Amino acid sequence: MSGEKPILEIKDLTFTYAGAETPALKNINLQIFEGEYVALLGLNGSGKTTLQLCINAVIPHMIMGDMEGSVTVQDLDTAEYPTRELAKIVGVVFDNPEFQLSQMSVAEEIALGLENLGVAVEEMNPIIHEVLDIVGLSGLGDRSPFELSGGQQQRLSIAAALAMRPQILVMDEPTSNVDPIGKEEVFAVAAKLNRERKMTVIMAEHEVEVMAAYANRIIVMDHGEVILNGTPTEVFSQLDVLEKAGLRVPQVTEMAYRLEHDRSAHWNSVYPVTTEEAFQRIAPLFGGKHD
Amino acid sequence: MTNPVIECQNVWHIYGGSVTAVQDVSLKIYPGEIIGIIGQNGSGKTTLVKHFNGLLKPTKGKVLVNGRDTGPMRVQELSASVGYVFQNPNHQLFARTVEAELEFGPRNLGLPEDEVIDRREKAIEFFGLEPLRHSHPYRIGFPLRKLVGMASVYTMRPAVFILDEPTTGQDNVTTRIVYRLIHRLRDEGSTVLCVAHDMILLAEVVERMVVMRDSLLIADARPREVFSDRALMGSTHLLPPQITELTLRLKEQGKLPQVSLSVSESLDVFAPLFGGKSEGGQA
Amino acid sequence: MRGVVIPISMVPGNSVIHRISPLPKLLLAGCVLVLSFSTRNPAILGALIVLGMVMVSVANIWKPFLRVMAILFPILLTLITLQSIAPAFPRPWTPIVSMGPFTIYQEGIYSGVTMVERATSMTIFALAAIMTTHPSDLFASLQKIGMPYVLNFILTMTLQLIPILQKEFTTVLSAQKSRGLKGTGFAAVLPSMVPVFVGAIERVQQLSISLESRAFGSSGAKTSYRSVKVSWVDYLLMLLTTFGTCGLLYWIITDPSLDWSRTLIFAPWLAITLFTLATIGFLIFVIIAIRVVLRA
Repeated sequence: MSGEKPILEIKDLTFTYAGAETPALKNINLQIFEGEYVALLGLNGSGKTTLQLCINAVIPHMIMGDMEGSVTVQDLDTAEYPTRELAKIVGVVFDNPEFQLSQMSVAEEIALGLENLGVAVEEMNPIIHEVLDIVGLSGLGDRSPFELSGGQQQRLSIAAALAMRPQILVMDEPTSNVDPIGKEEVFAVAAKLNRERKMTVIMAEHEVEVMAAYANRIIVMDHGEVILNGTPTEVFSQLDVLEKAGLRVPQVTEMAYRLEHDRSAHWNSVYPVTTEEAFQRIAPLFGGKHD
Repeated sequence: MTNPVIECQNVWHIYGGSVTAVQDVSLKIYPGEIIGIIGQNGSGKTTLVKHFNGLLKPTKGKVLVNGRDTGPMRVQELSASVGYVFQNPNHQLFARTVEAELEFGPRNLGLPEDEVIDRREKAIEFFGLEPLRHSHPYRIGFPLRKLVGMASVYTMRPAVFILDEPTTGQDNVTTRIVYRLIHRLRDEGSTVLCVAHDMILLAEVVERMVVMRDSLLIADARPREVFSDRALMGSTHLLPPQITELTLRLKEQGKLPQVSLSVSESLDVFAPLFGGKSEGGQA
Repeated sequence: MRGVVIPISMVPGNSVIHRISPLPKLLLAGCVLVLSFSTRNPAILGALIVLGMVMVSVANIWKPFLRVMAILFPILLTLITLQSIAPAFPRPWTPIVSMGPFTIYQEGIYSGVTMVERATSMTIFALAAIMTTHPSDLFASLQKIGMPYVLNFILTMTLQLIPILQKEFTTVLSAQKSRGLKGTGFAAVLPSMVPVFVGAIERVQQLSISLESRAFGSSGAKTSYRSVKVSWVDYLLMLLTTFGTCGLLYWIITDPSLDWSRTLIFAPWLAITLFTLATIGFLIFVIIAIRVVLRA
């Protein structure tokens, strides 16, 4: 990827909230490329949300504080371009589904962004249909956003962001307030966008097992710093580092790690991060019956 | 045989005369149990547990708490026996300091001042809130704020704790604290009901699972049985934890006799396959 | 939580009134407002009320309409009680009957009755317009007649927030009752209100970031997705409404015989009955209201 130009570049970023004593972000350097699915892991207060707010320029334009370094999105320096002007590049979905919605109907919720961009009214309906179709909410255009389930509301927020044709989708714990079926729906939509539309996804999430399955890069934050950055296998293998930062790894990774370290077992290969990987490694070891 | 602390006798709940949320549920909950109540949103699980502290009264059937019919009882009366910790602590907290928050419940019970202080101090110790005792609840980070919410019900000393999604919004560290606290509550003699989607909580902490779907109670069994029943899990859209899924696949191929519910459990099963020690011990 | 409804919102239906574009309905409501304030003739006001009721019947919204009126009407009745004994009317006042310290005046009863009629006629038409129009169309119409975008947005938001806050309040009250809160009196105010307000503030902060992320504050030209179609029927209706109102206004202003304040004489028994009924009606309402609040 070295020759490629990053879609998001963060250089020496340090940010301290107004009135705070210690910085929320310390000297962050990151490059994210088009089409990546990046998972941000870290405890509450580790800087995940702050970092995400920097990507679409809410910091420094809407939230006050002391910012050093630079964040560049598609060649635009966020210090110069306010959030509203980055809306066409960065779409954002937050953790509380209800707190992002304001309109009388699902269609109007999506139209809101288009109105702000001055999109002609005739062009709106095709866009609304298209994005509702992508997130699987076709036919619900006339419903009130507040009558939808949590999972549907989050997918509506995704659709509202998509309507503005962003290249990066930033999601801050989008499933922390929805039930299991809603989680499944939201993860599936994010994965589909990433796979089929080359959408760059940057998702903060606690569910390490799910991130192990979907993300192709994991970034771990601790006390405002990036402490690990790599593929799921690379990152989760560092179980000791993650545990020190208070984080879990996928159960199957922990299993393999502890078999080697606590039970003197010979795992003899990279640690698995998904159930499938673990199954492939273990199933053949049972003698006899195969089906 | 001990008497159940909560008993549902053919409980129905119908909202507004037309929407059936709970259908003919019968259930006995005994002192000292740790129970997980699971099901999708809208399955009726929240409606069901709201009957346990009188927030809802059955449309048909009876709910008994400590043998007494909740029908004529008020929530305030029941609050001394059944504590309900809401999912979002922001719905419960309002005072200026953690201390005041913890005193609110016991004061409502009309307890004497020294008892109020005593309970407050016990809660601060139990939940490890010493450094936060003078903090404003809204200035505390969400995970710890949630512990304050739990503590504010703990001071009521209920025999039964209903915890609505106790680990939602928690990170790994505070999640582990919640698991420990649930065990400690039981060690003190309390019954704990967790309304939860957290599969690791259900697999590793809970001892009995009550599964609701479409207003019906469809299963009441030990976690190992529930997690081994793929059709049951699938019909409620619940994904088992990785270890359980892995061992279930192996069990389905006849390679393992039963599923493992935690990583520790699975080590004993898998270690021999890799030439390791099957019993836990110093490596 | 079920059963949380705001009484004033659209009632789905397919009546003629529902199908008329919101603009003529808004215009009619506005015209009635002007007319009600320009006359005190009980017959004209009564006729407006009857016309309004015809509209309510055609739209088939009696039930939700009466639910709102059940709250509003008893409050309006105080106007009769208060006006009877202290008319907002130029003296001299003609006493009809004395009851202890109070004297009921002819002008007072007249003033009270016409004020109730006035308020009722305005309310009927406003409710009929609101209850037969989808909120989106309503706001689109307001925008069309020149309401600024941001003001319109704030209004939309506020309307959305009311049921949400009601729901929040129910949840908070349940949470506090679970901690033994007695649920009534001054002691219940802080525990039940603080969480709702804090939640509302948090919601607004989050929403503002969310909106900005959808280019809300952008300075460029905005378009509007909501639009109202206005057909020739609507234009015709608006024309008729305008002419009708102008005609009535001309008649009201030029014909002095429409002032019945000194000619419409209330017999003592009628005055006492009206006064007593109004007062009792209001008191019953207060008692019911207090009981409902206490039980919550």
